[in-house]
Amino acid sequence: MRRLRVQLTVLVALLGLLVVAWGAAIFLGARDAARSSASLQSTVDRVDELRRVTTGLSRDFVTMETSRRAYLLTGDEATRKAHTQAEVRADGGFKQVRELSSRWRNLAPLVQGLAAEYRAWVRTGQTELAARRDRGTMAAVAVARSGRADHHFRALWTRQSALENQLARAQRASAHSQDLTYEAAQTLAVRTALMMLAALVLLAVWLRRAVGAPADALRSASGRLAGGDLETPVTLGVENELGAVADDLETMRRRLAGRMEALERLRHLSAQVVGATSMQRLAEVVLAGLQPEIGATRAVLGAARPDGELVLRALAGFPDPGVADDIVKADGEIRQVLPLPTLRGGQVVGMADLGKVAGWSPVLRDLVARMGVGSLALVPQLSRGRFLGLLALCWTERHPLDREQEALLGLAGNQIAGALEAALRLEEAERAAGEARAVFYAIADGVLLSDPYGRVTAMNRALEALTGWTEAEARGRPYAEVLPLATDQVGGPADLVSRYGRKVPVAVSSAPIFDPRGRVVGGVDVIRDVSREREIDEVKSALISTVSHELRTPLTLIHGFAELLVLRDMPVERQRSSAVEILDASRRLARLIDDLLSVSRMESGRLVLDPRPLDLGTVVERILSPFRAMAARHTLRAKLPTGLPVVWGDPDKIEQILTNLVGNAIKYSPGGGEVLVTVEHDGDTVQVSVRDQGIGMSPRDMGQLFEKFYRVDREEVRRAGGTGLGLYITKRLVEMHGGRLWAESWPGVGSVFRFTLPTSDELAGSGR
Amino acid sequence: MKLLIADDEPAVRALVHVTLEGDDYEILEAADGVEALEVARGEAPRLVLLDIMMPRLDGLEVCRQLKADPDTSDIVVVMLTAQAQERDRDQGLAAGADDYFTKPFSPLALLNMVERVRHNQSGAD
Repeated sequence: MRRLRVQLTVLVALLGLLVVAWGAAIFLGARDAARSSASLQSTVDRVDELRRVTTGLSRDFVTMETSRRAYLLTGDEATRKAHTQAEVRADGGFKQVRELSSRWRNLAPLVQGLAAEYRAWVRTGQTELAARRDRGTMAAVAVARSGRADHHFRALWTRQSALENQLARAQRASAHSQDLTYEAAQTLAVRTALMMLAALVLLAVWLRRAVGAPADALRSASGRLAGGDLETPVTLGVENELGAVADDLETMRRRLAGRMEALERLRHLSAQVVGATSMQRLAEVVLAGLQPEIGATRAVLGAARPDGELVLRALAGFPDPGVADDIVKADGEIRQVLPLPTLRGGQVVGMADLGKVAGWSPVLRDLVARMGVGSLALVPQLSRGRFLGLLALCWTERHPLDREQEALLGLAGNQIAGALEAALRLEEAERAAGEARAVFYAIADGVLLSDPYGRVTAMNRALEALTGWTEAEARGRPYAEVLPLATDQVGGPADLVSRYGRKVPVAVSSAPIFDPRGRVVGGVDVIRDVSREREIDEVKSALISTVSHELRTPLTLIHGFAELLVLRDMPVERQRSSAVEILDASRRLARLIDDLLSVSRMESGRLVLDPRPLDLGTVVERILSPFRAMAARHTLRAKLPTGLPVVWGDPDKIEQILTNLVGNAIKYSPGGGEVLVTVEHDGDTVQVSVRDQGIGMSPRDMGQLFEKFYRVDREEVRRAGGTGLGLYITKRLVEMHGGRLWAESWPGVGSVFRFTLPTSDELAGSGR
Repeated sequence: MKLLIADDEPAVRALVHVTLEGDDYEILEAADGVEALEVARGEAPRLVLLDIMMPRLDGLEVCRQLKADPDTSDIVVVMLTAQAQERDRDQGLAAGADDYFTKPFSPLALLNMVERVRHNQSGAD
């Protein structure tokens, strides 16, 4: 993995070495060049010097020759002197030449030859000179004519020329070798530079390959990542630090892609949970959405009631939905182990390995086993800090939550909370709407809703019945068509004319419907069928008439007879009969008041029975005797089998029942006849029937027979008088005893009124 | 003088009997409206005391028929009723009744009224 660093280090080291080598080469080359140049220079200088000295020597030779010759010719002392001087110089020159040429071996023979020749020349010359000086001119010329000196001079000159040529060649050779030295140094420098260049090119190529291309690839990969492309894998194919960076980037990309995918799933989940409007659907959608992420296979959804209590709302993924009952049964125990404060704080709580949690009751352990749950994750749903509900995700096996899953569940919890809140709100709204709808349709009064243009938008069943229109037909029609009202005055009593022409008295109250901004968006009309009220009004007024009549009649008698008794003298017999009339009327008045009070007490629940065991036979006989005395035209008979069981009842009330029935039988059989009271034993009950041979009733008359203040609308009945309370009271009294009262009747034949009373077996058995 | 008491309540008829007893009145009785009409037409009483709430035919109707019939329209009709509301009284007078007695009534007031009718009749004769 450290290859790049190693490579780089090696490369830099190599480069360093190269630089050092280059420097060394240049330095060494330069030094060599300098050195060789210096030695060459000294050689050249020496050669030059040698040539100069040699040239000087040549010149001295010439001077010596000329001056010798001149002297020989002239004998001029001056020329001899010149010759001598030149000779001294030539001697010195020779010395120099010898010294200088000693360095070159190849010159030595030349110089030695030259010197020998010189010496020979000088000797001959000296001889000639001495001859001139000593012997005069002639001798000298003779000597000279021998020509020995000239001969030597020519030989000397030849040698001198050879030396000079040799020196010239040496000079040229020196210069050439100097040039060669410079060339070599130049070549070295150029080669070294070329090598460095090559090394640099190699380095560049390597850098390009090892660093540049991967860096570019990294750059483009990171650019793709930055641009949001998480699909393309990041690969470099190099195994160095950049490769490692690329691998890290790839890991990062995979994680990001994973996160993105999770986010995408969450987004999908959130889109789905938004569509889930029922708790059940919500639980299913959430489970389906989270299962691929976390592997939970079951879910329990609870929602908080307005009072904060958590209530089970839905199960998902459980093979047996019956566990719902078990959960509900264990509600209290579950509540005890739920970490509610943590959950209310919005924290996801994982409960891994439920089988090993300590401190759980057997009920809970049993429940967990039946639910087949190994681990739980409790995901609270909070909306604006309010605890809305709890989702419990269940694994069948042990499953500890990792941080990533916990974070995901936390996010999911928020999504679910929104949906849960919406679902709860929808549920509430639907419930409210359902209630409103139920109220609307169930309300006994007709209700009609209309739009601002007076068209019907809804009407309820009661109004359908009243108007004869169905809601479907009426919808969209003008209000007045569906609800035609015939009224004498605005706000007064009105009659609703139904579709089929039936007139129904109604009371109408109307109100506009406002939207939240106060605009009228429709109207509501409540139409009450007041025919019953009107009937009741009529009944009430008839009742008041009746009661008033019934009260006034006895009062009239009491008043009248009393006044006569007070103000008029009457025979004793008449006085007595008047007093009897007063007494009868008083009794009648008292009975009427008793009846009214009875009804009042019954209806307010204040009438209390005082039941005890009774012998019905005795009671029947007791109540019949006064009737027998009074009713001359009727035969009153009782049919009482022996061994009647004892019944359970309030003696006064039983007497009242029998008195009313027998009284009615006499009252409504004005033609007389038999009134038969029969008592029969039938299982647990005793049945008493009172049969007459009176006017009887038609089935229509019997419809409301036992209703309060009802009186059969027949002249005979009106003639018979009465408050319409007797049968009502009688029926209520029978029912208070746990019995039943009913009637059979045939017009013109007579009626039978029957009632049952429970027996009092245990008391009968006690021997009473 | 002949007078008719029509009331479904025997005790009321007895009271009227006792009230007018011994003063030379011929008292006829009827227990319902139909009977009252028959007696009134057959016996031509000078005065009819009519209860309103009677079986078969109520007093108001009896009064209307008596007043509508020229043979009986001269009969003085006095309504005798337990109903005391203005409406009943107006109905009674609208039916042609000459006077109106509300139960409970004073027997002596009734006697005075009957005496007055007798004197008016005597005066007219």
